[in-house]
Amino acid sequence: MFNLALHIARRHALFLVVSMCLLAGFQYLLCVVVSTVNLGAAIEEITKSLPPAVQSLMSEQFFYGLSTRGILAFGWNHPIALALGAAVGIVLAARAIAGEVESGGMELLLSQPLSRSQYLVTQCLLALGVLAIVSFAGIIGTMLGQKVFRLELFGLKSLLKLTISFFLLQSSLFAFTLALSVFGRESGHVATAGFLFALISYLIHVIGRMWSKAAFLLPYSLYNYYSAQAALIDDRLAWKSIAVFVGVFFFSVGFAMWRFVRRDIP
Amino acid sequence: MPVLEVTGLSKRFGEVQALSNISFSVEAGEILGYLGPNGAGKTTTLRAILRLVHADAGVVRLFRDSTNRAAIRANVGYLPGELRLYGDMTARSLLDYFARYRPDRPPVLRGMLLKSFEVDDRILSQRVKFLSQGTRQKLGLIIAMQHDPELLLLDEPTLGFDPLVQQTFQEMLSHFAHRGRAIVLSSHILSEVEALCGRVAILRSGEIVGIEAVESLRQRMVRRLEIRVRGSIPVGLIRAAGVVRSSVSGNEAVLWLQGNINPVLRCVAGLEVEKFVFPEPALEDIFLSYYQPRQEIHV
Repeated sequence: MFNLALHIARRHALFLVVSMCLLAGFQYLLCVVVSTVNLGAAIEEITKSLPPAVQSLMSEQFFYGLSTRGILAFGWNHPIALALGAAVGIVLAARAIAGEVESGGMELLLSQPLSRSQYLVTQCLLALGVLAIVSFAGIIGTMLGQKVFRLELFGLKSLLKLTISFFLLQSSLFAFTLALSVFGRESGHVATAGFLFALISYLIHVIGRMWSKAAFLLPYSLYNYYSAQAALIDDRLAWKSIAVFVGVFFFSVGFAMWRFVRRDIP
Repeated sequence: MPVLEVTGLSKRFGEVQALSNISFSVEAGEILGYLGPNGAGKTTTLRAILRLVHADAGVVRLFRDSTNRAAIRANVGYLPGELRLYGDMTARSLLDYFARYRPDRPPVLRGMLLKSFEVDDRILSQRVKFLSQGTRQKLGLIIAMQHDPELLLLDEPTLGFDPLVQQTFQEMLSHFAHRGRAIVLSSHILSEVEALCGRVAILRSGEIVGIEAVESLRQRMVRRLEIRVRGSIPVGLIRAAGVVRSSVSGNEAVLWLQGNINPVLRCVAGLEVEKFVFPEPALEDIFLSYYQPRQEIHV
């Protein structure tokens, strides 16, 4: 298993390093912007011209009163940060099975003394490790930016809660895409399906927040269970959110395992 | 004691019956040819043996074990028909990578294989994607054989090999079998199977139409002879012993011969021959021997 894990890590090394740097860089950049521009005042000006529903959404739910900490917390809720995190999990899952079948390596690989369950477990463990590292990289970007630009620091416990929340969200997306990957023969198709799922889930979350009549959809969005503001500002990580993410992860991985051991290769 | 025993293997892909009640066994030290045209089910059989494809029915026993534990596969070497290797790895790191899956079976034959296939240090340090198809095929064979497995499953192994490398490959496989290793050689090239194998299983449309010793296959084999003579084709030639089918058009004839060809050659000796073509037997000629009754066609 170690042999396989090392092999996968080497194959994805460049993609992972770039993803880590981008996430950390984005969070750092947000600190630069917050320290150089009075972003709170600027956004307040802009929101005045928006409809009341959007105003309240932006000021309360997204920017937490437009404080510096609130805007930094929003950096972790920003579509770019979420897309970067999702990309890592989705690409790893799509390549894990569909990508390996597509490249033609799966046949030779599974003819070695390596069981399918070992293969899948290794892929999952490696992905979890990578997602944890990527999440930490983003946190380091925020911490570094706060230190360098002498911004008000977040507590370590809050940062840890955010890391866990972000990591669990991306792990769920990985697991869901893995469940698609066991059916696929082309990683591109699987990754597209994974991204579509993440996008729809995100849109449901945004629409449910903005439009009260669509609020009943919120529990069906993964992003409903992730809140950077709750972790960073309120120092809160709901057990229900953890339970949902862990449940989605294990159900999806369990399904992927069930299907993968029955699948014909290629 | 059979190293590999396949009993009643069947597999259907949607509407297509890919394998139907396939049964055969391979003993230690034996090379079994698995012969059939493209799409006959050779690759599916090998994949089913390794459980890459799940059979609908039937039992596969590897080393008398039907559980297909991953550990069992440590004793098996496999070369896929559609070999694709990780292009970004160097040849050396690729061989090392696959060797590490068998910590208890070190790649003891690697040195010998590299030397025989003339894979030198320069090639080993190149990335696989820059290597020729033939060299990649050599690497695939080395991956399959380097740990000295007790059973080798080779699917169209000589694709991309020039005649010299094919010769080396045949010598290596014979050496392997002499050391008590069992080999299943899937191929659609009759001459290759004929040269290497003791027995041949012949596959057509997912069914084994016969399993025979190569010698009896040669006897049974129907071979094609094209002849053109000055004058007309004598009836004696068409009726000669060994002619199972014939097609005559003016002074030309195509004869399908089985077994001893000397009676036909004796008839030909008395004729003024303008054209005489007796090609290497093709795979279809074997199938004829299983299906065709004696037939004469005059055009």
